[in-house]
Amino acid sequence: MQGGTVRAVLSAVPLRFWLAVATLALGVVLGWMVRIVTGRLLRRAGVPSATEGTTFERTAREFGTSTVAILAVIAGYFIFGIAVFAAIAVAEIEYVAQFWNAVAGFLPQLFLAVVVVIVGVVLGDKVELVVSERFRGVKLPQANVLPLMAKYSVFYLAALIALGQVGVATGALIVLLAAYVFALVFLGGLAFRQLLSAGAVGAYLLLHQPYTIGDEIRVGEIRGIVQEMDLFVTHVEADGEEYVLPNSRVFADGFARVRS
Amino acid sequence: MGSLVADIDGLFLFSPSASVYERFDDIGVTRVVIAAENGVEADAFVELPLGFENVRDRIRFGVEGAMERGFVAEGDVIVCSLSMFGDDADSLVRVRVDESMRSGIYDLFIDSRAEPGVVRDVFEVAIDLGKKGQKGKPVGALFVVGDAGKVMNKSRPLSYNPFEKSHVHVGDPIVNVMLKEFSRLDGAFVVSDSGKIVSAYRYLEPSAEGVDIPKGLGARHMAGGAITRDTNAIAIVLSESDGMVRAFKGGDLILEIDPEEY
Repeated sequence: MQGGTVRAVLSAVPLRFWLAVATLALGVVLGWMVRIVTGRLLRRAGVPSATEGTTFERTAREFGTSTVAILAVIAGYFIFGIAVFAAIAVAEIEYVAQFWNAVAGFLPQLFLAVVVVIVGVVLGDKVELVVSERFRGVKLPQANVLPLMAKYSVFYLAALIALGQVGVATGALIVLLAAYVFALVFLGGLAFRQLLSAGAVGAYLLLHQPYTIGDEIRVGEIRGIVQEMDLFVTHVEADGEEYVLPNSRVFADGFARVRS
Repeated sequence: MGSLVADIDGLFLFSPSASVYERFDDIGVTRVVIAAENGVEADAFVELPLGFENVRDRIRFGVEGAMERGFVAEGDVIVCSLSMFGDDADSLVRVRVDESMRSGIYDLFIDSRAEPGVVRDVFEVAIDLGKKGQKGKPVGALFVVGDAGKVMNKSRPLSYNPFEKSHVHVGDPIVNVMLKEFSRLDGAFVVSDSGKIVSAYRYLEPSAEGVDIPKGLGARHMAGGAITRDTNAIAIVLSESDGMVRAFKGGDLILEIDPEEY
């Protein structure tokens, strides 16, 4: 009697419903595995040490988690979400499917957007740290602007990509970005022109060392003993005066080694 | 006891901790910090490039640096608080600042042609070499630091230069091992102002006229001392016979360090 009712209930539930439940269960297992594997992969790739000290990581720590854990959880939920939609599709629940289909198409993009935002925030923080580390020796208050600029540039790019992912119109922002990049490249090229050409020549000079420390050379009007050479400049000393010549000048004027 | 710290014009704190520094916040005389780095944000600060084990050298360096920077003047009486045995300050020394305190130690590190960091690195290499020797045997070495162009013109190669077309600087991690291996060869190492090792195996040919170095030191010291008179370089010499590291500038012996104490 009892067994009969259970069998009746079981047979009353259509097969596709059972399939849907199985899909859901598989999704949970897969999601869990993806979460663990992602965490391991990220840890193996050295992400924890790379995110060390960034604001995002610190905030995550305050909530008792970490950047790696958050990314892994998101990846896990992404897989689980797909499983949910698969289950709905399998169960052929018509009206629900109609509504959720649109969402299902949107989900991967949303997932990517979230990941891009997180990566962008972490990367921006990291860039700020690295740049400010570089400028630590320079005790100049204005130098603080550079790390901030680098940070917000990365943030801006990340936001742009994320917004593009979820389909927000970003035309105006892209124009702004283009203007910014153009200004950076054009003005940077203009400002660093001398350094770049000196550096290019310096690379040749350091590789081949046509003259070295201790040689007497003549560059244009200047004649003296080479005291120091690096990527950008050559120090030439003559009669108590030390000339600091940009390497580009050594090439432009040509140089003569004085053999005594 | 009180007479030790009575009527002083300055207080020199050698490598103080933050709490020690703050204890003297309202002392009312010039307070100078001498340490490897300015961890306590002191206004009057002299950077200590080496942790001189010899207390006299440490005080001389601090006083000379403070005079150079105008923290104290000649005739001032100062009290130095420093550590002689442990890590914490355990001794007070009362010193009268006068010109005879100027031994040139500060000048050797800070006002040489080579950068202070380079001078310190070469000292560290020499001390390290003196401590360990080469394969357990004591070695000698001669480093000529700064004004490399002129030094190269006042010397000649004894053999092929192993550092030709190389770009190694003192302080690079591999350099200690390299220098240790090359130190068994004769001749001097030439180091440029920025710390680049220009050459090994150099035979120095300065004119040794008027070089006054203590009797009993050998040819290596004589050559090192003499080249610093002829050029603006400084010479850092590791003695093979007694294992001491000596520094010369302007032809004079400025500093003597026993590597075993470091």
